[in-house]
Amino acid sequence: MNTAASDPANGEFEPKIVAYVCNWCTYLGADLAGTNRLEYPANVRIIRLPCTGRIDFNLIVKAFEIGADAVLVSGCHPGDCHYTSGNYHARRRWMLFRELLATLGIETERVHFTWISAAEGKKFQQLISEITSTTRDLGPYHAYREICETCEV
Amino acid sequence: MARIGVFTCWCGENIARNVDVQSVAEQAAQLPGVRCSQTHKYMCSDPGQKLIRDTIAAERLDGVVIASCSPHMHLKTFRKAAEHADLNPYLVEMANVREQCSWVHSQRSRATAKAVDLIRVAVAKVRHNRALEPIQVPVTRKVLVVGGGVAGIQAALDIADSGVPVVLVEREPSIGGKMAGLSETFPTLDCSQCILTPRMVEVAQHPNITLHTCSEVEQVEGYVGNFRVTIRKQARYIDVDKCTGCGQCWNACPSKKTPSEFDYGLGKRTAIYTPFPQAVPARPVIDRDACLRLTKGRCGICVKKCQADAIRFDDQDELVSEDIGAIIVATGYQLYEIGKPDGQGRVTGYGEYGYGRYPDVISSLQFERLVSASGPTGGEIRRPSDGAVPKTVVFISCVGSRDNAKGLSYCSKICCMVNAKHTMLYKHKVHDGQAHVFYMDIRAGGKNYDEFVRRAIEQDGAHYHRGRVSKITQEDGRLIVRGVDTLAGEPLTIAADLVVLAAAMRPATGVEDLAQKVNVGYDEFGFLCESHPKLRPVETNAAGVFVCGACHGPKDIPESVTQASAAAAKVLLMFSRDRLYREPEIAHVQESACAGCFACRRSCPYHAIDPAEIRDRQGQLVRRVARVNPGLCMGCGTCVALCVSKSVDLEGFSEEQVYAMVESLR
Amino acid sequence: MLQPLRETCRRLLDDGTVQVVIGYGQAMRAVEPYPVFITDPNDVGQLVWNEQCRTNLVKYLLRQEIRALGKPAIVVKGCDERALVVLEQESQIERSEIVVIGVACDGMAEARCEVCDAHQPRFADHTIGHATNKEQSAERRYAHLAEFQERPIADRMDYWKAELERCVKCYACRQSCPLCYCQRCIVEKNRPAVLDTSPTLKGNFAWHIVRAFHLAGRCVGCDQCSRVCPEGIDLRLLNQSMARASEASFGHRSGTDPQAELVLGNFSKQDQEQFIR
Ligand SMILES: Cc1cc2nc3c(=O)[nH]c(=O)nc-3n(C[C@H](O)[C@H](O)[C@H](O)COP(=O)(O)OP(=O)(O)OC[C@H]3O[C@@H](n4cnc5c(N)ncnc54)[C@H](O)[C@@H]3O)c2cc1C
Ligand code: SF4
Ligand code: SF4
Ligand code: SF4
Ligand code: SF4
Repeated sequence: MNTAASDPANGEFEPKIVAYVCNWCTYLGADLAGTNRLEYPANVRIIRLPCTGRIDFNLIVKAFEIGADAVLVSGCHPGDCHYTSGNYHARRRWMLFRELLATLGIETERVHFTWISAAEGKKFQQLISEITSTTRDLGPYHAYREICETCEV
Repeated sequence: MARIGVFTCWCGENIARNVDVQSVAEQAAQLPGVRCSQTHKYMCSDPGQKLIRDTIAAERLDGVVIASCSPHMHLKTFRKAAEHADLNPYLVEMANVREQCSWVHSQRSRATAKAVDLIRVAVAKVRHNRALEPIQVPVTRKVLVVGGGVAGIQAALDIADSGVPVVLVEREPSIGGKMAGLSETFPTLDCSQCILTPRMVEVAQHPNITLHTCSEVEQVEGYVGNFRVTIRKQARYIDVDKCTGCGQCWNACPSKKTPSEFDYGLGKRTAIYTPFPQAVPARPVIDRDACLRLTKGRCGICVKKCQADAIRFDDQDELVSEDIGAIIVATGYQLYEIGKPDGQGRVTGYGEYGYGRYPDVISSLQFERLVSASGPTGGEIRRPSDGAVPKTVVFISCVGSRDNAKGLSYCSKICCMVNAKHTMLYKHKVHDGQAHVFYMDIRAGGKNYDEFVRRAIEQDGAHYHRGRVSKITQEDGRLIVRGVDTLAGEPLTIAADLVVLAAAMRPATGVEDLAQKVNVGYDEFGFLCESHPKLRPVETNAAGVFVCGACHGPKDIPESVTQASAAAAKVLLMFSRDRLYREPEIAHVQESACAGCFACRRSCPYHAIDPAEIRDRQGQLVRRVARVNPGLCMGCGTCVALCVSKSVDLEGFSEEQVYAMVESLR
Repeated sequence: MLQPLRETCRRLLDDGTVQVVIGYGQAMRAVEPYPVFITDPNDVGQLVWNEQCRTNLVKYLLRQEIRALGKPAIVVKGCDERALVVLEQESQIERSEIVVIGVACDGMAEARCEVCDAHQPRFADHTIGHATNKEQSAERRYAHLAEFQERPIADRMDYWKAELERCVKCYACRQSCPLCYCQRCIVEKNRPAVLDTSPTLKGNFAWHIVRAFHLAGRCVGCDQCSRVCPEGIDLRLLNQSMARASEASFGHRSGTDPQAELVLGNFSKQDQEQFIR
């Protein structure tokens, strides 16, 4: 865990949060939070993708594998997709995938799905603040890290 | 890729205040693959861009990361700069250390650390970027305009006048649309036909316009710049080249009982007919359901009368195909059929107004015909039941509009003006008559519009009552209109001779079908969706397809025409080069791995994926695989996420790039 | 049962309707019937039908070497048959180019047969025997899963850690699944490798998440994967959790309706969820 979010100087646990967001709504919402100077915790690392439709479920698994304590997936509200329907496909995918995670005993409270529009800078700020604090309360995701740290069986 | 340059911007104080730019640059220099790391006060400024260009050249960089503001702000700028230094623009990525870092994190150490992370992600990505060339699509410089109302006519003429050929497809026997049947138009009360018919004739005579009437679009294949459109021309039973439009045939036709579509059923027409005298083309058509010869095998009087030998009872539907570069949809509107539920649960009500039961309850378009000089009464206002001149007329607005419970939620926008116009036209013809209007609000925004309504009330003495009508009954030949006047706060009953309902504007029938053929979205009411309500109002999400007029939403003539000219301008802009350049960040299928499950095809919002056949050397079909049409793909990547074998990938956001980005955060 | 089955197969081969019959055969001492591919009408005597015919034979239809034999007929149970429906929906087979011989089945010696509602094949071209399909409530069908999901989350995680620890990545589950037909499985993809292919716990979790999710809305619950797993890993729980979610959220039971839209790759604006904020 050598990246900054989980390696703070003060030794306190800093959650590492990976966010997969669409280019047209949530990414712009995050930009707006910036333009309006809305402060939020520096724990999130945004990975910009064209559309929620592009966000493969494997990316969520991957985020946990690299030591994320929480994952955020966010895109345009239903009806607002830049590509008309990528988010509807994504919504279906998440409806099923969350179920699989639950069956596997993966903590679904660490996987957040939201719709944030380009106008919702405030919502972005609040969301990141909230996710950071709930993840801080949950603590590091030891369970998945253990899975990843076991060697050849 | 291992010669990456990182350029971190101070943005004056904007980034530097909360991010230690110098330290970021030093740390970035240590990242794998990074060749050099520089900073500049304002990277987007001329000297900043020069630094980038010079460094690319000096260090022979093969990848660039700019750590500055949002890519939505300056990605284009920096990609251009790289291009000027002969570096493929798609080898440039950005790290957003301003909007998503310095502006939102005030703790300097953490903001600095995050900035390094963001650069780390961008560097990881750019290592896997590939040089891309814009996709070039040849353009067929020919336009299809669907719908020959005022909007379609305007668009067709604008384009044709600029020298580009147009194919105009109209489903009725004549172009002109609704406007051809209007009497006089607000807000100037100029005669509708007087301004429209010359334009219609221009269409007919224009060397660059091919007009197909009685025709519809059967099929659309291909993509922007390269559509192949099949048009179904319905049998007209007339040889239009031989016919001179003399009228001998329709004057002699014994089948005279068909309600005239053009007069909205207020008049009758023959089986062989032109919809109205100024029709374009000025050629008749035979109604195959009314013609005695075609239905019963007898008659044929028209054949005897026709001296040009132009009648063809054996005429067949014909399919015409055209290569088209751009499509403009201008299919206009129809009025809500009052009292008739639409079967989709969108409109259920207004049976209480007795439309269809009481002959003297008519729609606003029918009223237009009653006042029109070319109408069934020759322009005298006589009511349908007994031909009497009505002395009291009630106009009701918002019939079907602005009612979530039993109607449509939207405002039809034109009815307030139409009502005002109607009261004036009525008063001008029946001087001792009294017009009443029931309204919800008066919405008369627009140049000279409010003045127009005021004139109706103040000069022409129309009585306006704010309130709804609850019921209309018929007693002793008069219509008893029961409503409320909410301003007076009391019920109001008016005995009227004629009631005119301003029914809601709805998209033309069949528009959803057409929309699906051209891949344009439509809203819950069937109005076509523009690409952006403010900035791309005539474009659609389907590249190369444009909308104008009332098919896109309720509109009056000036707006329809404005939009039509806008659509024409957009098409001409698109045609200004002989090739189209599209963003190369699109999907492509690795055919050797594709399983041909077509999950991608099912999901693609742009129908950009087609099956392709893989055959062996003997020509035997081996399997079917998916293939992306580069003319249609918009690069959303929905297909990539759905492909279980990951046989389809997206340039610019490839699996390799995205996984590298995530990995870099380890 | 057996006689009419053999007769039907003989006839189909005799009159040239098909060139090969995929069915169950049994050698003298073997316990489990094995698949046989009969091309000669005189060999139909090799076909058997008994309580041990658990294997779902559909996968063999997709094999290149079997396709090379010509037009096939295949012996299926009502449950296996669902896989054919999905394969057709996913453009993997041309239904008209296959003859389906459905055999009515009162249940094999397996627990899942107690909640089976497909004793009688529904889409077969020839049906041998008769059985009655009785409706089974979702509660009954998913009782096994429901019970598992009652357990606290940490328990579930521990359970899977223990189970998946044993997976040796032999991919027998994939090889036997009628719906795993990719030209190149995602685990064989490199540059980038989407998932860790090592048989470590991490790699095994990654694999089983992928396997289960790639069958989401598709798995027909034939249990072939669990049946062939040399480590006895209960993959049904994962499969069922996807099947139950598809059924609950989208009213979809894969392979029961050839006209139904597949779950993924389609959507409805009305899709209802509780968790997206
Ligand atoms: C009662 C009334 C009075 C009005 N008075 C005024 C006024 O005074 N001033 C004013 O500014 N506006 C007025 N309007 C509004 C005006 O009618 C519209 O703004 C205008 O007609 C819209 O033009 P359009 O070309 O978009 O649609 P339309 O006039 O509806 O033309 C559409 C054309 O497309 C054709 N078409 C439809 N579907 C297909 C298809 N699938 N394939 C091929 N062809 C197809 C139709 O046959 C039609 O010819 C009035 C409207 C009403 C209802
Ligand atoms: S990237 Fe999007 S638009 Fe392009 S083929 Fe895939 S699904 Fe269709
Ligand atoms: S989803 Fe993948 S495997 Fe299936 S057809 Fe598309 S590219 Fe091929
Ligand atoms: S069959 Fe069993 S051991 Fe083999 S890969 Fe599948 S789950 Fe693992
Ligand atoms: S039960 Fe197993 S073998 Fe059968 S369809 Fe489902 S995943 Fe495939």
